[in-house]
Amino acid sequence: MISANTIFPATWSPQRRSGVTIGFAIVCLFTFLWLLPIPLSWVPEPIGSAAQQFAEGARVTVQLTLVSGLIGIVIGVLAAVAKLSNLAPLRWFGGFYIWVFRGTPLLIQVMFCYYALPFAWQLSEFNSAVLALSLNVGAYNAEAIRAGIQAIHKGQIEAARSLGLSAFQTFRDVIFPQSFRIALPPLVNNFVSLLKDSSLAYVIGVVELSNIGNQVKSASFEPIPVFITTALIYLILTSILTLISGAVERQLDVERN
Amino acid sequence: MAKGENSAVSLITVQNINKHFGQFHVINDVSTEFFQGEVVAIVGASGSGKSTFLRMLNRLETHDTGSIVIDGIDLNADLKNIDAVRREVGMVFQSFNLFPHLTVLDNITLAPRRLRNMNRAQAEVVAMELLTKVGLQEQAHKYPHQISGGQAQRVAIARALAMQPKVMLFDEPTSALDPEMIKEVLDVMKDLARSGMTMIVVTHEMGFAREVADRVMFFENGQILSEAPPKEFFDHSPNERIRAFLGQMSSIN
Repeated sequence: MISANTIFPATWSPQRRSGVTIGFAIVCLFTFLWLLPIPLSWVPEPIGSAAQQFAEGARVTVQLTLVSGLIGIVIGVLAAVAKLSNLAPLRWFGGFYIWVFRGTPLLIQVMFCYYALPFAWQLSEFNSAVLALSLNVGAYNAEAIRAGIQAIHKGQIEAARSLGLSAFQTFRDVIFPQSFRIALPPLVNNFVSLLKDSSLAYVIGVVELSNIGNQVKSASFEPIPVFITTALIYLILTSILTLISGAVERQLDVERN
Repeated sequence: MAKGENSAVSLITVQNINKHFGQFHVINDVSTEFFQGEVVAIVGASGSGKSTFLRMLNRLETHDTGSIVIDGIDLNADLKNIDAVRREVGMVFQSFNLFPHLTVLDNITLAPRRLRNMNRAQAEVVAMELLTKVGLQEQAHKYPHQISGGQAQRVAIARALAMQPKVMLFDEPTSALDPEMIKEVLDVMKDLARSGMTMIVVTHEMGFAREVADRVMFFENGQILSEAPPKEFFDHSPNERIRAFLGQMSSIN
């Protein structure tokens, strides 16, 4: 990974460097998704003629990841708070959720959300995949956030409460911002894993990157170039995500700046 | 009973409180009273229950039996009462407990903004006045890890004062400080005492207790063994245990 400290002018503050890095990486991500068909179309058959399809698949993969990732963070925070709650039923519920979703295969969860839930309400392929992926990553996020919350020194809570702040204000203003920063590296790992795991949406017919790869392979009978292309696109996407999240980490890390 | 010069208005009434940590009887049937404008120093050996007693005054520790009434509010399990008391009682900790993710200024303005309906601009004006009072207006935009321990403790004092408390509790405020920083914190506390603030200070700084306190309270085995004006306490205590304690303290200092 390129170090952000070597490519920026020495006068820039770490905050400014990471801010610029975040902006740059986000621009990279969208430019990459937008312009992807052009370089792909230069590649020999069977890739060149499927350039548009690959690009569309990559967009769906990124959509799946971003939507599920954001919902997964909200779920993770709620589940972590539930698991640390003073109310026993809430604690059991949080523990049960985390236990089930970490203890069963994501593939089963994806298929369950698409094939088993529709008796109650019919979700589209994309929405079923989002539901399964966000519940799954939420369970892993919950453990990361719980560890972050438990790492906060008891004196922080005492100081906030002794000022008269309520339990909720103490959590929102004092505990959560600190624990989120501690939880960020594992959350980022989960996010990158999610991008790769989103390929499982393929089994319920979501037309994302892996699905496209498989379609092109079936039509061309040339697995080697197709899967190398697919893997390369994933690799570029995860690299951009890592760049963004590394910069977010530095942005939030007041103590090192 | 020893008294500050202002008036004899009672602010905190403690009656027959008890507390156990398992089998250990930390606070044993303690009753006392604190008056408006009074500065009380609480001294005693470690494990005597003095810090626990102080922390009970804003219910960071609960009492098993007895009653604590602060400014007319009964400090019991009622959460509304607890929050009401905590808004009136400022607390300064041995380990400062500043919020590391907030600047010095934000540390001070957080509670007034959330609880006193102040907007950021109003709260910052008040905060800057307090920072000037503790001599740290230059440090307003720094983060806690960028300032020294002595400065951090002065910020912690300003943070507590921003809620305009009726009484300030200090739990060994200088015990975690390097010797050269103790004086700057004690000076701020002396100024505060002169301004008429009611202060209850758990401390090992005997010089501070002698100079600033109106009353010195000696804790042993979870009980108040003696309460006396400093001159009487330090120079004429009839109690063997207190003389032994003072002897130990002076051999350290």
